[in-house]
Amino acid sequence: MEGKRSGSQQHCDLLRKIREFTRAIVEELSNGRSPTILIDRFRNYCTNPNANCCCSYDLSYGKEILTFRRESHVHRLDILLRVLLIVQQLLQESRHGSKRDIYYMHPCIFSEQSVVDQAINDICILMQCSRHNLNVVSVGNGLVMGWIRFLEGGRKFDCINCPNMAHPVPVQVEEVKDIVSVARFILIVEKESVFQRLANDQFCNANRCIVITGRGYPDIPTRRFLRLLIEKLCLPAYCLVDCDPYGFDILTTYRFGSLQMAYDAKYLRCPEVRWLGAFPSDSEKYCLPQQCLLPLTGKDKRKTESMLNRCYLQRDVPKWRSELELMLQRGVKFEIEALSVYSLSVLTKEYIPSKIKGGVHI
Amino acid sequence: MGDLRKSSMRFFSDQNLCYADILPPSEIRARIEVAVLNFLRILASPTPAISDLPLINRRSSNCRTSKGLLAQVSCVFLSHSFCTRSLMRANTAKAFIRVWKVMEMCFGVLVQEKRVTQRELFYKLLCDSPDYFTSQLLVNRTIQDVVALLQCSRYSLGIMASSRGLVAGRLLLQEPNQEVVDCSECGLSGHAISGDLNRLETLILNTDARYIIVVEKHAIFQRLAEDRVFNQIPSILITAKGYPDIATRFLLHRLARAFPDLPILALVDWNPAGLAILCTFKFGSIGMGLEAYRYACNVKWLGLRGDDLEMIPEQSLVPLKPRDLQIAKSLMSSEVLQENYRRELEIMVQHGQRVEIEALYFHGYDYLGKYIAKKIVQANYI
Repeated sequence: MEGKRSGSQQHCDLLRKIREFTRAIVEELSNGRSPTILIDRFRNYCTNPNANCCCSYDLSYGKEILTFRRESHVHRLDILLRVLLIVQQLLQESRHGSKRDIYYMHPCIFSEQSVVDQAINDICILMQCSRHNLNVVSVGNGLVMGWIRFLEGGRKFDCINCPNMAHPVPVQVEEVKDIVSVARFILIVEKESVFQRLANDQFCNANRCIVITGRGYPDIPTRRFLRLLIEKLCLPAYCLVDCDPYGFDILTTYRFGSLQMAYDAKYLRCPEVRWLGAFPSDSEKYCLPQQCLLPLTGKDKRKTESMLNRCYLQRDVPKWRSELELMLQRGVKFEIEALSVYSLSVLTKEYIPSKIKGGVHI
Repeated sequence: MGDLRKSSMRFFSDQNLCYADILPPSEIRARIEVAVLNFLRILASPTPAISDLPLINRRSSNCRTSKGLLAQVSCVFLSHSFCTRSLMRANTAKAFIRVWKVMEMCFGVLVQEKRVTQRELFYKLLCDSPDYFTSQLLVNRTIQDVVALLQCSRYSLGIMASSRGLVAGRLLLQEPNQEVVDCSECGLSGHAISGDLNRLETLILNTDARYIIVVEKHAIFQRLAEDRVFNQIPSILITAKGYPDIATRFLLHRLARAFPDLPILALVDWNPAGLAILCTFKFGSIGMGLEAYRYACNVKWLGLRGDDLEMIPEQSLVPLKPRDLQIAKSLMSSEVLQENYRRELEIMVQHGQRVEIEALYFHGYDYLGKYIAKKIVQANYI
């Protein structure tokens, strides 16, 4: 895990790797040979209905070979080397930059953002590191509250003082130290509005826990922070999402990581995450009014069908797959807020506590 | 003399400013009860009638500007022109009922001493009256109607708002009886601005900054916070991460009132949307309803502006999208847009291009800090 070595040691290692990589290319070229660059391919799931897939979280499933003999490869390598140069500068100056910042440094050569994004992914794979090791960061979008206290780069985050107040999830997760917590579990919620409901009902007063949200699809700092909390505190993590295809997708992102960041899935996934709700069966159990059950659109159905083919569902979480199938069969979806129709505090006083106590999670 | 000044300001009766007040739950419940009682009184009177609901008109025709003589700020406000929701007219009958329904729901929430999110309110109304509330949009519009009827803020009605805002820099915040938060020690992410306006109201503020810099985008805010630009130029950085929300504007307004000598400078992308964001901080907007105007601040345009274009490489200029042109058109039609802003907007539309602030990184990472410092020192803001 990256945190074990000190940051500056990692910087030096990375700078050395960059120099070696570049030297190897220069040597090959000066000997009149075309350098061959191998980039591993990663995926954290496949949609092959055949049960035999070789998807894994740390191993690549193949390599891409780039040479100087093909023009498209040369262009891609040109971009890669330019981005590498910028990354080297960032590391040497101990600055951070975003993918967008990098694009704007040479907008004429990097004709569009996606080209820069691919180069950064390729560099991470080649150098066998994570994106933040390159000092490439994004803005943080997550929120956290509850019974936790920690330091980030010298600044104190004391949520214990005021457990119902939201704090932004730290962006430089590698700088987080001295985590102290008296929480008994971690609750992950999909939406900010649910987070607000929990804060307004002072959920953390009655429940010793940490609540975290990515406000939709979780960004990398949120996923890394969650992973850090689970590792350091060894707490169970329960995920509360809407009962719809996008909620399910967000749930799998927390648990298995995303396809885009598959090369880093080892550090971005949290296999301990359990699905607390909302399940399709909850609509009957909690007597949701008919009007709250909205029909699945054509787009929803297509998304659900494609998700059902993901190999990790059958292999690792068959119960999740059954619930997703049930959602498709019934053809309806509902949001968490629908549970609060008759009483605003149902979510915080009954639904969540009874599910956790009763172990009603999969 | 004071009377004379007051009366000259009220020379035209339609120059009464209409504000949405921030009120405690008891006061809102009282206003709702008064509305109900009045309705019943007229219904039960010797000449019974179903009274109409008078709402402050939220159209641009009811928008007035006042160019303050003493203050430099020109202010936009909604005047006393009313539109009515009436049960007697077929096209507003449903809207009439919707207003009462929302008032009923909000009353119930306030009695429980709770708050509700707009989404939760939608589901409650959907289940209670499915014929009247078929979408979130209808709920949001009706909430604005209630705000215009009771002349109170949305937050006072018990509707929770999130805040997207962040603040960093030379500012000390303290909630009564809590620890002091030093916003210059808040790391990359800055300090999150609470969505609770009551808490923002009671914050104790202290600063030694000389400027307040309003930043449109989160990424730029993060860059400036990381580079600690607020130490090089003593300043406070504030962002709403895009289109400003009420809480961020509220805090900015409080800062402007508490420290009136600090110029407020805006750093936005060079496109109509960026200018629209600047104008929303500056004047408020009709779309935000009745309460938007009270938080107007004298914000000046630091950058990006037309004369900065010479520093931008050709390839960073991107064509305007149709949406940009729509925004430009609606900004142009606003009578409150000052002449120099109008000229900038015209140049944007003529060139047909827009530029993001990140384009300045072409000259290196530290260029943004230098750019801001130079412009501030030259007082190059409009």
